[in-house]
Amino acid sequence: MTTTLHVAIDSKTKKAVVFPLVFSGVILLLMMIFGVVMLLGQGKLIELNPIMFYKIMTIHGTGMIGVSALAGSCIIWYFLKQYVPLNTAVFRLNVYLFLVGVAMVLVGIFAYDFAGAWTFLYPLPAQSGGMWGKTGAALYLGGMLVIGTGFLILLLEAARAIIKQYGSLATSLGWPQILGKEKGFGPPPTVVASTMVCIVDIIALITGAALLSMSLINVFVPSFTIDPLLAKNLTYAFGHVFANSIIYMGVIVVYELLPRYTGRPWKSNKIFLIAWNMSTLFTLIVYPHHLLMDFVMPKWMIVMGQVLSYMNGLPVLVVTAFGALMIVYRSGIKWDVASSFLYLSMFGWVIGVVPAIIDATIVINHVMHNTKWVPGHFHMYMGLGACAMILGFMYYLTRMEGGRIDNKLDYLTLWLYILAFLGLSGSFLFSGKSSAPRRWAEHFPEWIPADVVAAFFGTFVMITFLLFLVRFISYSSNIGSKINQSDDIRPSTHG
Amino acid sequence: MYQQASWMITLLFSVFVILIFVTVLLKSGKRVDYGKIQTKGYFIRSVWFVVVFSVMLAATYFTLQDLPFEGAEAEETPVDVQVTAIQFGFDVSLDTLKVGDYAAFHVTSKDVNHGFGLFDDQLTIVAQTQAMPEYTNTVYYKFTKPGTYTILCMEYCGMAHHLMKREIKVTE
Ligand code: HEM
Ligand SMILES: [Cu+2]
Repeated sequence: MTTTLHVAIDSKTKKAVVFPLVFSGVILLLMMIFGVVMLLGQGKLIELNPIMFYKIMTIHGTGMIGVSALAGSCIIWYFLKQYVPLNTAVFRLNVYLFLVGVAMVLVGIFAYDFAGAWTFLYPLPAQSGGMWGKTGAALYLGGMLVIGTGFLILLLEAARAIIKQYGSLATSLGWPQILGKEKGFGPPPTVVASTMVCIVDIIALITGAALLSMSLINVFVPSFTIDPLLAKNLTYAFGHVFANSIIYMGVIVVYELLPRYTGRPWKSNKIFLIAWNMSTLFTLIVYPHHLLMDFVMPKWMIVMGQVLSYMNGLPVLVVTAFGALMIVYRSGIKWDVASSFLYLSMFGWVIGVVPAIIDATIVINHVMHNTKWVPGHFHMYMGLGACAMILGFMYYLTRMEGGRIDNKLDYLTLWLYILAFLGLSGSFLFSGKSSAPRRWAEHFPEWIPADVVAAFFGTFVMITFLLFLVRFISYSSNIGSKINQSDDIRPSTHG
Repeated sequence: MYQQASWMITLLFSVFVILIFVTVLLKSGKRVDYGKIQTKGYFIRSVWFVVVFSVMLAATYFTLQDLPFEGAEAEETPVDVQVTAIQFGFDVSLDTLKVGDYAAFHVTSKDVNHGFGLFDDQLTIVAQTQAMPEYTNTVYYKFTKPGTYTILCMEYCGMAHHLMKREIKVTE
């Protein structure tokens, strides 16, 4: 079987992803620097005023989730374009709105002292305890609304194009095959995954927009209030789902490229389709696991939060990661840096799922909730999962489209990145095990050693990421202009 | 205890995952026909599914026996403690308790969301719940050791979030 690493889409689309990817990369690096600064502060290695800490924490959380989603949207767009016609103007619009939103958020935080964290839990934006006023809150919430609207428009366009091509989202999620009405394979994995992302994110973003609007009104009209428990439910229905969807956008690059690298197909058979339907449903309804410590929630919802979070681990553990292992096993793959990142992303996703599942257990959540255990698990799967997908995509682009050749330093930084990120998230988990709360500007002396270790590993993550970024940016301008590398990554066909 | 267990399970599982991924990586070189791998792979996948599913089922069954919000009201009469969080501190109705007391903390907030985290004198969390405006969450804890316990804030609530602190003395 002959395969090609090239993706058959027009060069306009190829060019369109360059700017948002460069921008995401630069912001990721900047946010990593902020991450290290927070750790240096918590570890008492520098003097960091708590007000500054919380501002940095707010921008780090917002920025990281925002730009990884932006990079994820590049992945969806690039590969989905092969199967359905998409309007590039909408993609551009999202990038512009993102820039506007980011500017508002930055001004809100750094000029007007907003530091309500990226979850802006109602009624904190309106009741800062004296740290920020109306303007800061309005700029931040307004900026988030602009960013959310951009993503909403983008995904509505993707959903529109998918429905036009496949008839309905049920068809593109493979219901005919699951129900046995049609034989054979379902739509391409990319279409299935994009459908899932469209469904969960459109719902999450509309929820988020409603919540943001109500919070905004509350800032200016304090007599307009929302039920705090409802607001909390909406916050996590939006934040949890949106943050989670990033890895489901990113996994598309794995579905598309690993089969090309190995010369083995990744088809949407029945189990695959069932897994994605499970993910769609569970991603939408597991958010109550953030509310396990809200005992006023109905008991059945709290228990379902635990059960569903467990089940939500099944699709990746049993289907996606397992499928990747099968495709790679004795495939004769000729590894390059891009494919290594893709393989790494499967590893990162799996290894990050376990501490998450553990924390979703009510009795454990009782002593782990809002400790550093939580950032520990999501740094693992965001850093080694989602970021590895984004980096794999970047390395693929500059290799196939930009004329970059892998060198020894690329591999060295790749390995360092893995070790450093494991060390960073491992020290967060360790802090969580030692009961250190998350989101604390200053730690008790007992918790400081783990912060120092984390700062050390964080610095390495930052340096390696800088090197990846330099490699990407130096070749990125060639992308889409037909400087094609020959397709010599095909696996050997003998044996 | 739960903290230690989580840490150990995570470490063990991580080692397992690393071994699997490294093994497949080392065996990625020589190409064989995918059909054979699929037959074997799908079989292993079924076994793996059954294993994961059973572990999850067992874990669900055992961990749901000990829910922190189901205070055994019937077993013992709890000592009620009202806790009200405000930016940036906690008001408590009672701050000295005795070993053997079965405390019911009724937790609420006057302004924004806070968290109620009860730490023992080793700085280990022993119980927590959310402190929410307009709602009261009740969490139960049986004091078995004397010492100074500290309530700390577990939900980000603004610039002095990490300074919210209230001590509770537990005497013999
Ligand atoms: C060099 C790499 C990084 C370092 C050193 C770092 C450091 C940190 C630190 C110290 C915190 C605050 C922990 C606390 O609550 O005490 C944090 C929170 C967070 N980080 Fe990172 N991080 C890094 C990379 C990432 C990446 C790659 C992502 C996602 C793509 C990410 C997303 C977040 C989010 C969402 C939060 C939560 C913010 C909040 O609690 O409001 N971080 N990070
Ligand atoms: Cu607080």
